[in-house]
Amino acid sequence: MMKNDDFIRMNADEKNQLQLERLQSTLNRAYRNVPFHKKRFKEMGIDLSQIENLSNIARLPFMERQHISENYPYNLFAVPLRDIVRIHTAPGTTHNPTVSGYTPQDLANWQSILTRALQASEVTPHDILQITLNPGLANWGRDYKYGAEGIEASVIPHTRMSIEKKLMVLRDYKTSVLITTPSSALQLANYVRKNEININVFELKTLILIGEAVSEDDRRSLEKDLHVKIWTHYGLSEVPGPAIAFECKAHEGLHINEDHFLPEIVDPATGNVLPEGRFGELVLTTLTTRAFPLIRFKTGDKAKIVTQPCECKSGLSRIDWRGDRTDDLINIDGVKVHKKQIQLSIQSLLKLPSDASKFLIKQRDGKKYIEVWIPVNNAIFSDEIKELESLIQSAEKNLLENIGIPVAIRLKEKSMI
Amino acid sequence: MAVKGISLSVKKSQIITLIGANGSGKSTLLEAICGLLPGWEGEITFEGIPLNGFDPPAVVKQGISLVPEGRLIFSPISVLDNLKLGAYTMYRKRQHAAVNQTLEKILDLFPILRQRAKQPAGTLSGGEQQMLAIGRALMSHPKMLLLDEPSMGLAPLIVEKIFEILEALRNDGITILLVEQNAQAALQVADYGYVFETGTVVLQGPASELLADQEVKRAYLGKDYGEFYDEK
Repeated sequence: MMKNDDFIRMNADEKNQLQLERLQSTLNRAYRNVPFHKKRFKEMGIDLSQIENLSNIARLPFMERQHISENYPYNLFAVPLRDIVRIHTAPGTTHNPTVSGYTPQDLANWQSILTRALQASEVTPHDILQITLNPGLANWGRDYKYGAEGIEASVIPHTRMSIEKKLMVLRDYKTSVLITTPSSALQLANYVRKNEININVFELKTLILIGEAVSEDDRRSLEKDLHVKIWTHYGLSEVPGPAIAFECKAHEGLHINEDHFLPEIVDPATGNVLPEGRFGELVLTTLTTRAFPLIRFKTGDKAKIVTQPCECKSGLSRIDWRGDRTDDLINIDGVKVHKKQIQLSIQSLLKLPSDASKFLIKQRDGKKYIEVWIPVNNAIFSDEIKELESLIQSAEKNLLENIGIPVAIRLKEKSMI
Repeated sequence: MAVKGISLSVKKSQIITLIGANGSGKSTLLEAICGLLPGWEGEITFEGIPLNGFDPPAVVKQGISLVPEGRLIFSPISVLDNLKLGAYTMYRKRQHAAVNQTLEKILDLFPILRQRAKQPAGTLSGGEQQMLAIGRALMSHPKMLLLDEPSMGLAPLIVEKIFEILEALRNDGITILLVEQNAQAALQVADYGYVFETGTVVLQGPASELLADQEVKRAYLGKDYGEFYDEK
């Protein structure tokens, strides 16, 4: 934990030096150990020994989600498999799930990243911390558990439960910190309001919202309804993990863990690095990751970097992140999916020809889901409808299992789409 | 060995070690810092002062002393005279009294050298010669000591002794940059380390973490990653 604090107190020069050293060794390891990186650097004629300052990183190509899918499952690992001690699978945003591996050092780093973020949210050893996330964020649940254990808080690990059960645990176990997504928190607040539950008997004082950005309005109403103080964290659900950036007590943007990640803001269309203070796509390079280094990974998240010092005196720059995307990923309750990914799955599950479909994000009882309108022509409509209905049922089940998001499939006439 | 695209930093009053197999470019860096490589293009800064273009005496004047690989002591002359040579720049300024004071301190630090003061340096054992080389480097009152393979050719017990001396110097506030092939021994005394492989840094971190690291064990053994991948 001392190490964390040391970094936070670093001045800009020391930070740059540390980042440059870590960037250079990350690139050297990636080049030597990952054929994907070696091939691309070679093809582009990149000489890594010419990366002499942080801005030189702009010479390197971007990594995108599709590269992770193409290298499924282990081809982007930079260490031999026997050095890997944990393997996570996250619902991917393309055809294949996202597989990431962790060495013992990686796990130790994640624990310290999570511990730092939780400490910034004023979590202490006296807290009882409950984690409730949807299945698509199960990996994050594990990371938060280890992080909270690092502060010696009492952790109620993530398990799937009904809203009634969730509230029962919150009340009876005297939970003081709840980690969940904004959608789930709103759902909980709705339920509390609708059922006239007396929130004063709860010990809850801190709500840590992850997976999605929370609007100012929602933030205010949640704080009022649940009698809590809210902190938000930013992370990536596939790789590398949660709490890449976190709010401090100033609640003015999220401090990015610059000892572990090098952030850039680029124009999503041209890929050019944007001047400081402009909104663009957040691009991340891992600086300490051993097993699964990311080099200029395009997150698809819109953000801007704030380098002005924060009142909390941390030397870590902040990002202003409001949840907007630069691509067509849909974020449901913290899980990101590609429209195309859902479309392809539906087509293959229903054995339908590839046709454009329509996507709607809907809510039922405060719970978000995706409604997909599939165009059907009369031929199918007349005689195969029964069979199709049962196919749809199994397809919905399949999608929930594979991407972790409820999807409702509706058959519509072509003209309606 | 060509060394390019490397950044490293040495914090005050710490032992920083550069480890890696022979020929991985570690010594080149030390030579560059000491001003022994006139064509060096990289940026070297010591306490905010750029050292580029400094010749070796100028670097020593800034407070940097080198303990070279293979000790390079002067065998025919006495231990005492070897030590005095380390204060060569001060003798010229007629600071004899100050030099003698320093000499006494160093002989206190290495009692064995006091015993052997009159002997020709060539008659010392390997470990004693290494102590002499360190003592000689300390004669100029360095703020930072650079050591190139001080454990080379020494028995494990002697290596331990030498490294204990380095720890004591660090605790006295001297900054130490230690180049070593003996990764195990170096990481045990160092605060922070860099792992070199064929002219680049592939890893850095607190010495205690590197000591437990799979990748370090590979670099230390000089094994190629390819061999490990073949096992997949």
